[in-house]
Amino acid sequence: MDEFQEILQDFLVESFELIEQLDQDLVELESRPDDLDLLNRIFRVAHTIKGASSFLNFDVLTHLTHHMENILNLARHGDLVIDADVMDIILESIDLMKALLVRIRDTGVDGGLDVSACVVRLDAAASGTPIAAAAPVAEEPVAAAPAEEEPDYSGMSEAEVEAEIERLIAVRQAEDAAKRAAKNPAPAESEEEPDYSGMSDAEVEAEIERLIAVRQAEDAAKRAQKASGTELEPAAPAAAAAPAPAAQPKAAPAPKAAPAAPAPRRAENKEDGENRGGGSVEQTIRVDVKRLDHLMNLIGELVLGKNRLIKINDDVEERYEGEAFLEELNQVVSIVSLVTTDLQIAVMKTRMLPIGKVFNKFPRMIRDLSRELNKKIELEITGEETELDKSIVEEIGDPLVHIIRNSCDHGIETPETRLAGGKNETGTIQLKAYHEGNHIVIQIIDDGKGLDPDMLKAKSVEKGIITEKEADGMSDKEAYGLIFRPGFSTAAQVTSVSGRGVGMDVVKTNIEKLNGMIDIDSEVGQGTSMKLKIPLTLAIIQALLVGVQEEYYAIPLASVLETVRISKDEIYTVESRSVMRLRDEVLSLVHIGDIFEVERVFDNSEHAYVVVLGLAESKIGLIVDSLVGQEEIVIKSLGEYLKGIEGIAGATIRGDGGVTLIVDVAALMQMAKSVKSTVGNESSDAKGRSGAKTSPSDYCVMIVDDSKTDRTIMRKALEPMGITLVEAVDGVEALNVLKQGDHSFDGMLIDIEMPRMDGYTLASEIKKYNKYKNLPLIAVTSRSGKADRMRGVESGMIEYITKPYSPEYLMNVVKRNIKFNEGL
Amino acid sequence: MSEKLQQIINKQHKTLAGDDIKIDEVIQLVGFIVGDEEFSVPILSIQEIIKPISWTRVPQTPAYILGVFNLRGSVIPLIDLRSRFGLEMIKHTEETRFIVMKNGDDVAGFVIDRLTEAIRLPKRDVGPAPETISEEESLIDGVGKQADRIITILKVDKLLERNF
Repeated sequence: MDEFQEILQDFLVESFELIEQLDQDLVELESRPDDLDLLNRIFRVAHTIKGASSFLNFDVLTHLTHHMENILNLARHGDLVIDADVMDIILESIDLMKALLVRIRDTGVDGGLDVSACVVRLDAAASGTPIAAAAPVAEEPVAAAPAEEEPDYSGMSEAEVEAEIERLIAVRQAEDAAKRAAKNPAPAESEEEPDYSGMSDAEVEAEIERLIAVRQAEDAAKRAQKASGTELEPAAPAAAAAPAPAAQPKAAPAPKAAPAAPAPRRAENKEDGENRGGGSVEQTIRVDVKRLDHLMNLIGELVLGKNRLIKINDDVEERYEGEAFLEELNQVVSIVSLVTTDLQIAVMKTRMLPIGKVFNKFPRMIRDLSRELNKKIELEITGEETELDKSIVEEIGDPLVHIIRNSCDHGIETPETRLAGGKNETGTIQLKAYHEGNHIVIQIIDDGKGLDPDMLKAKSVEKGIITEKEADGMSDKEAYGLIFRPGFSTAAQVTSVSGRGVGMDVVKTNIEKLNGMIDIDSEVGQGTSMKLKIPLTLAIIQALLVGVQEEYYAIPLASVLETVRISKDEIYTVESRSVMRLRDEVLSLVHIGDIFEVERVFDNSEHAYVVVLGLAESKIGLIVDSLVGQEEIVIKSLGEYLKGIEGIAGATIRGDGGVTLIVDVAALMQMAKSVKSTVGNESSDAKGRSGAKTSPSDYCVMIVDDSKTDRTIMRKALEPMGITLVEAVDGVEALNVLKQGDHSFDGMLIDIEMPRMDGYTLASEIKKYNKYKNLPLIAVTSRSGKADRMRGVESGMIEYITKPYSPEYLMNVVKRNIKFNEGL
Repeated sequence: MSEKLQQIINKQHKTLAGDDIKIDEVIQLVGFIVGDEEFSVPILSIQEIIKPISWTRVPQTPAYILGVFNLRGSVIPLIDLRSRFGLEMIKHTEETRFIVMKNGDDVAGFVIDRLTEAIRLPKRDVGPAPETISEEESLIDGVGKQADRIITILKVDKLLERNF
């Protein structure tokens, strides 16, 4: 029983490996139907699986593969042209075969699936071609027989056609068998051949059974022969070379071909097979993944030990400077650390798989999709040999399926549309993989219709995913990111391929899980490029260590785009969120202390460090007190008791033996949305300026607006506070009032659109005076575009209120900015 | 014959145990002080007892969870029992200890004020927990009565259960 299990395991492993290659070969075959090499390879797969499964008594599987082998054999001999329809049936049968194999793997038996329908179709396909019916023993088809039968079909009823097909199948099978038999060295069998036409169905069946048995025996013999041939191979050419080097190519195949196959084509195949067998003897062993995982864990511990050792070495160096043994210790430490690093890389490599494992299934998928969607799509794959960690290979499959489906369904247009648009009728999807530092980049580029940011926004607003206001403030990149929102689908109608609005959401989640990033680029009419950037491995990662107060956190370096040092003046508040300007982008900021509830006791430095984090398609700036450095860390779980803490991905042990928490960047970005900014509230001099306020009327706010109505609305909203309000009708007047110095203002509400001097100019004018540097300027306007906000921020406004607003909102914003003391 | 043998064996057991109680009727506990009270947990649920070492705060957790610490390469949560029992936290002293308890795969360290002793207690001297506390919520497994004092026996599985 154990032996059987072992054989079964080997069989399954081998079969799955064969099938993986099969899909790709078949798709290739469709474009090159007369590639004999390819055909032979495919035939051999069916054949091998059939042979093994019959040995293991998997009757259903044997039955199915037998018929597949039939049809492939025909094609191999040029008796059948593989067109798209035939290919559909073959692919279907391969799917069925896979399903059977999976079933065998899971349950140990191959029952439960009905293969008869598929078998009938396979046979129909095999006999459906005109040449097929008459193909005799000879290699060249003789076209006499089918010519008589063919015209009849049109006149037949459906039932008659069925019957005819049945009959043809039987005849066909008999002929196949005969043909095979004819190639058999036993000459007697070729004599029996003419009898088939006279046989009854049952007799034919029996004959087929018999022939199959013969055939299997023959296969076994051939396999044995192949095996021995492989062993002999090195010797054979040497022997042949001695007498006549020129004759070598001919001499080599001859002895092997002689016993089994009189047909020259068969001899070629065999030679081909042997070369393959001989050339690809790889020095490999199969290892249980669990063992590799265990090895990886051990290495993790070793890395921690190494870090610790380095730290201790540093301490010792400090204490015993100049001592002789230090030199030696140094050497040992460097060797240990060097070897550990090498060891880690080596073990990581054992877990690496080529991404081709994932890519392999896509040619088939594209083919199926293009037929289903009636589009012409070509897939170009490059870099399939790029390697990455096994666990990542497993995770990356699903997202890629979704992205490629999406490209096929939404990206690539129909052939007519493409022609009309002046493009090649056939759309191209490029799938690329390459290394970039410690990352692997997978790029999916289609030359389809591209993403239209305006359309995406409109659609999202319509579906209630975002508000009109949010849409206005969005950049094109942010708009592209909308396709990852749950519930979003741009397909006008739901097809079986996509449009249910789940797929891309999954992409984002999976990529985030891998600490990866997504970057989308698109041009309407030109196509879309999606770039997935994924770290090479998961267990041991590079991290940036940051400090806040006296705590340290580790941020996966994969998510860190850059770090910048800014002065606190560069932090602005827009609608109570902290932002900064990073080149031509507005980056929202969050303080790590606000996320992780760090008590900020001392905070008097003028500068802050911003760690720019990128994940999937979003970005955020994380303010930290200090940057400690980059370190290699091993991710450890916090255990059952503390698992699932928002914002924490795990912990690691540092060189000093302490524990440092690892930031979960994806969660942090979510948390940042709900965290109230405290960055702006730090300006301590604001308190000093406002001096001692004893009553609400000590607070003074200026309202600058050219519209009487707007001024009144603002006044009405703020009057309940009891503060002093001063009005100005435009920028020039406001500036004059300010200069007169009759009032000490605590804040200003400024409209943007005003005659003589607009709000932006006013703000920049005010900010020119040092004493007004910290005067809160609040823009109150109906302009809500991103560019407008940015101008506001640049000119020195710290808040941006868009009309219409509720009186309470205005009051709250003002209260917050003038540090209104409710107690008065 | 076998009856006689049994008697001899029984007698030997009694001499070994030092009193009249059979071994399986004794529970072994480790006693410690938190605040003004003495508590105890079964000795078998204790992995080890260590002197205080540094730990790292974990955000978004209740105050009684001090954080996590490194126990020979494992990251283990640290829980302050004073705070867990609603008492005020105090500064660690010379006598403060971390008791690392385990229940299956769950492991956590608990900060206690000071250790007392290992206690052997006959099972019959263990009474049920006071009924005023609901069975589900209670951390108390039972109350052990000794000549001069009362010891509260804690449920280790409850202590190691996450309740936030």
